Amino acid sequence: METTAVQKLENLLLVSVPQDMTDEDVILLRRQVLQKIRQHGSRWVLLDFALVDICDSFFGRFIYSMAEMVKLMGAKVIISGLQDAVVETLIDLGLTLPHIPAVLDLDDALALARSTDATSFGAMASIRENVVWDTPEAKLLANRSEV
Amino acid sequence: MKQITIQIRRESDIILASQRGRKLADTLGFSNNDQVLVVLAISEIAHNILRYATKGEVTILSLVEADKTGLEIMAWDSGPGIHNIGQALQDGYSTGDGLGIGLPGVKRLMDEFEISSAVGKGTTIVIRKWLHSSFQN
Ligand SMILES: Nc1ncnc2c1ncn2[C@@H]1O[C@H](COP(=O)(O)OP(=O)(O)OP(=O)(O)O)[C@@H](O)[C@H]1O
Ligand SMILES: [Mg+2]
Repeated sequence: METTAVQKLENLLLVSVPQDMTDEDVILLRRQVLQKIRQHGSRWVLLDFALVDICDSFFGRFIYSMAEMVKLMGAKVIISGLQDAVVETLIDLGLTLPHIPAVLDLDDALALARSTDATSFGAMASIRENVVWDTPEAKLLANRSEV
Repeated sequence: MKQITIQIRRESDIILASQRGRKLADTLGFSNNDQVLVVLAISEIAHNILRYATKGEVTILSLVEADKTGLEIMAWDSGPGIHNIGQALQDGYSTGDGLGIGLPGVKRLMDEFEISSAVGKGTTIVIRKWLHSSFQN
């Protein structure tokens, strides 16, 4: 398994999930993802499954464990590229992924990462700015603290 | 009739068996969806062999009969056996750290599923998938 499987793109980590992973490969890939999240401060991890043409409980566990791990790092998982037959089998196996957003391609993933960041973190920042500089209440507060 | 036997001793053997199974399914004319199911079945029973019996073997063969074509997967091991088969076939039951969806998933998604197991002796599983089948259980 090559190291090019994990790449940084803006605040997102793109993980090209390889075909035919063994348990050992999964552990290695997880480690690599953890390392890169920390190194780049990534907020999103996009798991791209375009290369994967199988589906079993092992694969289901891989997605779950990856999502859990990324969550503990304070980032979020997005998935893309699942083939139709794989999706059907996942569902038939009873492996649904209720809390993991799925997108069609990389552009959509980046758009999601940007927009969600904008509403959660960006908007927080602008609210704070408003409070401090623009509203009468803030000016009052500011004046009061000067006194 | 084509027949392939793969010894299961390590994870790379599971990948090999899955690939062989997919190829045979493709040759027999199975749809892509059914190929995924064949791989699922091989992967689940082979992972179980490795996890619970440490070693065993998987045989994949084509079934060409007068009126139908199919693929058979036979898994055999001489491991600890399954104490309660009914329980092992229930969704969510696992004595390992699994989700317990392997065997019930395979049983549900393939056309035929036979299992025999004796504690202390081992486990044999035979699974079949028919081409253009409309069976459901
Ligand atoms: N070859 C085997 N030898 C002995 N016991 C087995 C064998 N295969 C399955 N079992 C038993 O049957 C149970 C159910 O198997 P199943 O594949 O459905 O679930 P699992 O392997 O525990 O989890 P999952 O497949 O979801 O990762 C296992 O936990 C194990 O106790
Ligand atoms: Mg299993």
